[in-house]
Amino acid sequence: MKGRQSASGVLSTVMGLALTILFSFGLVILLIFLLSKMPAKTIYAFFIGPFSNKYYLGNMLNVAVPLIFTGLGIAVAFKSSVFNLGGEGQVYAGGLAATIACLAIPHAPGLVGMALALVAAATVSAAIAGFSGFFRMKWDADEMISSFLLSAAVALVCNYFITGPFDDPNNNILSTYPIAKQFGLLKIFPPSKLNVSAFLAIAAAILVYIFMNKTHAGYEMRMCGLNREFSRYGGIKVSRYLVLPMILSGALHGLGGGLMVLGTYQAAIKGFSFGMGWNGIAVALIARNNPLGVLPAALLFAYLDAGAKSAMLGGDVTFEIASIAQSFIFYLVTAQALYDIVRKRRRA
Amino acid sequence: MSSNSSYSVPLVFNAVEIMTPFLLAGIGGLFTELAGMLNIALEGLMLAGAFFSIVFAAATGNLFLGIAMGVLSSMLLALLFGTITLKLRANVFITGLATNLFASGFTVVLAYQLFHTKGVIQFQNIPKLPVLVVPDFLQRIPILGDILFGHNIIVYLTWALVLLSAIVIYRTPFGLRLRGTGINADTIVSLGLSPQKYQLAGILISGFTCGLAGAMLTIRLAAFVPEITSGRGWIALVAIYLGNKTPFGIAVASFVFGLTESFSNYAQGAIKIPSDFILALPYVITVAAMILYAVWRHSRATR
Repeated sequence: MKGRQSASGVLSTVMGLALTILFSFGLVILLIFLLSKMPAKTIYAFFIGPFSNKYYLGNMLNVAVPLIFTGLGIAVAFKSSVFNLGGEGQVYAGGLAATIACLAIPHAPGLVGMALALVAAATVSAAIAGFSGFFRMKWDADEMISSFLLSAAVALVCNYFITGPFDDPNNNILSTYPIAKQFGLLKIFPPSKLNVSAFLAIAAAILVYIFMNKTHAGYEMRMCGLNREFSRYGGIKVSRYLVLPMILSGALHGLGGGLMVLGTYQAAIKGFSFGMGWNGIAVALIARNNPLGVLPAALLFAYLDAGAKSAMLGGDVTFEIASIAQSFIFYLVTAQALYDIVRKRRRA
Repeated sequence: MSSNSSYSVPLVFNAVEIMTPFLLAGIGGLFTELAGMLNIALEGLMLAGAFFSIVFAAATGNLFLGIAMGVLSSMLLALLFGTITLKLRANVFITGLATNLFASGFTVVLAYQLFHTKGVIQFQNIPKLPVLVVPDFLQRIPILGDILFGHNIIVYLTWALVLLSAIVIYRTPFGLRLRGTGINADTIVSLGLSPQKYQLAGILISGFTCGLAGAMLTIRLAAFVPEITSGRGWIALVAIYLGNKTPFGIAVASFVFGLTESFSNYAQGAIKIPSDFILALPYVITVAAMILYAVWRHSRATR
């Protein structure tokens, strides 16, 4: 009985999500009809473009990599009922930290530099997010608002470093000096930018799943997420689980940014990670904060992103139509009524 | 004295102008806050108001029509936000984020469609916001006269709205029920009323004030800059807490933020600091203020 109930619960969730996604795709089509002078070609470019050759396909998969990390970062926090809205700044800072680490040791062996860069990325972003968790624990200062505000400030400070002290005068874009060649991650799907960070993303999803569901700390974190007072009564040190989820969340965001630099850009470019933080939230919500569900959810967002890029190149609409579609996924992804409609219809 | 005030008077005068969008958004956000909803959408609502007011003002050549359309668009967006949140029972904080993302997405898409740019759009034919003319004896009050008078009419309209909102919140049945919704929605149900109606009203009011706040940002500049709101909605959210969820408290908190920004504008000209740091300053100060407030409240609670 219980099994059947949860099975129909899963089904209504899946159907509700499908409705949400279909609605957003429908919105994309509508927008293209409204905005484009050649709608058929633009729609084709949007939906089919990302699959049209190895380059586009690989790049789409490559965009999913940081989204998996940010999605995991948000899932860890949300599952513990801690709200990290500073993902944008944390990804960006992680990318910059990885770049600076690589620039500091230009002659180090490849693996050493990569490892150091990722440690730097994770540490810096964990610290930024950890601040908000700490203030919440110590003085009950709302972590949601403080993490957003800190992230906004951090992003501006990163802008300064990218366009100021580390700016490479030899290129036309606002970007730091490139990192040394040996720190670049191995490409696995040429000519696209897809690289071994894709395997790391899958491994991260599995590790986070194991941590959350199979370890003691993960269990306590989830319990605090369900009911903090009850957890306190049960002897869990709840204050610890206001900070730890933020630190983990920040570290995952930082890794996402660091891997973008090592794998894709080989430098920190102004604004290179913008959108990854917000979309990570949507990815986690679609995945219902399940670390393994983050994988397909990130692919969906990467598809929207790739579609919009393709529609911009092969059609005549601007890239931001993706953000409109994404915002409607946001609007509907937690809409309870949508899932109830599906549930009722099944019962009838 | 005179050399001192010659610097500080313009600083405070500007602060009074700069605080106005914070104050407007904060007052609107107060209505949703009291109705028991955390309104993250202030930022997006403001952005919608900012974009549409200048576009319509430029298209019609009529300032007031432009502002009215800006406010209307912001309220329409608030209606979308409120309907999805309340009717489809979605998480208010996620739909708030959605509203912000939607606003920043469609302003860029529309700007690109209409003006073929994603950058700054300057408008030539935007009339200046009229300045309120006051009797000469008021203007001649030392210091205060120079600080309080000579602003555009939105500033004074905002002050009137602060007063009005205090009356509505504390002295009318509507205000009582709105606050009741936030404290315990079941009591409102037990009176045979719908808490959702009060929550929607709160959201629409925040749409109205944020629309006006956005209009002030773009019309003053005679230009639209993508993401022109730059975190003001979030800072307004903090002002609501710092102001202890009262209209006058929000006015004081907004003034502090206005003063900070006014000072950092001044510092930008006087001292050589990278502009990114200047831009980051309001966020840093807001976080600092928020944490100091939390520490203070904490120490009072544990005493």
